[in-house]
Amino acid sequence: MAYYPEPVARLIEALQRLPGVGPKTAQRMTFFLLKRPVEEVRELAESLVAVKERIVYCGTCFNVTDQDPCRLCADPARDARVLCVVEEPNDLLAMERTGEFRGRYHVLLGALSPLDGIGPDDLKVRELLLRLEQGETAEVILATNPNVEGEATALYLAKLLRPLGLRVTRIARGLPVGGDLEYADQVTLSKALEGRREIG
Amino acid sequence: MRIAWVQLSEVRSYRTLELHPQARLNVLVGPNAQGKTNLLEALGFLVTGRSFRTSRIGEIPRWGVEAASITGELARRASGVESRRSVRRALLRGGDGIWQATGEGAPEWARAIAFGWQDVEIVNGAPGARRGFIDGIAARLYPTHAATLVRYRQVLARRNRILQAHRREPGLDARLEPWSEQLATSGMELIARRRRAVAALQTELARVWSALAAGHSKVEIRYRTALGEAAEPRALLEALARARHHEARLGQTLVGPHRDDLALEIDGADARTFGSRGQQRLVALALRLAEVLPVTEAAGTAPVLLLDDALSELDPRVRELVLRELGAAEQVFLTTPEPLGAAGAAVFDVNGGGIFAA
Repeated sequence: MAYYPEPVARLIEALQRLPGVGPKTAQRMTFFLLKRPVEEVRELAESLVAVKERIVYCGTCFNVTDQDPCRLCADPARDARVLCVVEEPNDLLAMERTGEFRGRYHVLLGALSPLDGIGPDDLKVRELLLRLEQGETAEVILATNPNVEGEATALYLAKLLRPLGLRVTRIARGLPVGGDLEYADQVTLSKALEGRREIG
Repeated sequence: MRIAWVQLSEVRSYRTLELHPQARLNVLVGPNAQGKTNLLEALGFLVTGRSFRTSRIGEIPRWGVEAASITGELARRASGVESRRSVRRALLRGGDGIWQATGEGAPEWARAIAFGWQDVEIVNGAPGARRGFIDGIAARLYPTHAATLVRYRQVLARRNRILQAHRREPGLDARLEPWSEQLATSGMELIARRRRAVAALQTELARVWSALAAGHSKVEIRYRTALGEAAEPRALLEALARARHHEARLGQTLVGPHRDDLALEIDGADARTFGSRGQQRLVALALRLAEVLPVTEAAGTAPVLLLDDALSELDPRVRELVLRELGAAEQVFLTTPEPLGAAGAAVFDVNGGGIFAA
């Protein structure tokens, strides 16, 4: 095997640690960057450092933010009575893109995952309980992912919150809007059937 | 349904091969190690997208090639009209050395049932072989079964990990609870479908067995679970609670469908201990053939049968009865080391990686 000059090998090694990037992609990225003008590369490097230096987790909801409390927590127009619990900041963004939800958020920064050794103490669960103790919240929406980890997290939280006397809800699983029943996979369809509700 | 034609490229021992089988019985004759089982495997892969021999698709391409393909056409007759669908399964080796399956899959009505020498383990092997057998049938009957099985295994692995990592800690119950609840829900789903699959099999098994064994004995199949007749997730949750102490000590989940079994009896005696090897093989074959009718009803068309050396260890009279039973199937592929006198069968000689109509 041919050896790369040290700086090249170092960059390939660093890029490989990114999610979804294997050795080949890391190589391609490295040689792409080598060909770009230095200003462009500097811009990339500086934004990498800036994101680490300037972005913090919001002390209230644990979303990523450049000010604490974050814009969502500081916005008086948002309804403090409804709290939506998500796993990751990405999930919060997905909810926000709907433009439908006007309540507040709580980001757990993960889900219960025994295989990775992640238990309740590794998530922002205690912080969630502290927020709920302030008594502003009337409903908690559990919007964790519909996989086994997300489901376990939702079940765990539902049990934990039950004594607080709040309304605790779980987002529905089912059919994509605009899709045809005929083309839905059987698992989704059977879950949609399970989660049916009365109409009219 | 039937396979109208199939073409292999770089699959196992075959560089290229084209086969135009007929409806009903197709006999593949040839000495050992000439590629008969490879051909059956390829036919199964065409129909189902999976190999009945291996879960590693990288074993299917011929040694040293970068790509392999199995192409063909499936036909089915519904209300007097024959419709055809072409299927193309390609296996490609990625830059990272990992094989990937692509191409155009089979229609949802496509089903294949395979029988091979390892199926005798359903009768005389460990419980895992019987669970695999009944899960295979349940998956062919109820399309959501395979997904539930995957989910159940995921939950089980995580629950076991908690039992191993935190068994001595006071908070164990709270940690286990969300996983126990999911285990109970998906576990009871699995048990319910397995029971329905066993019930669907039972009637046909009695009929097939009396046809093959000429009515001298009776075979029975039952689903065996520690949960008795219970059907509610609550029952599994309660059983988990009862086993909790024991589970914490051993660090694994001790009740659920992963511990269940099938009871197979010949005239009231356990088929594992009772019964000669020939008889055990015949029970295994009868189980596969009993699956044909329920699967036909579920899929709306008969499955293709892929029978690897199904007649060995059987006496001439029983062979005769098996061939008569196979006469009713829509399409059968049967491998054999020596020629059979089966009337009306298409016979293909498989020799040295080639195939010749005999």
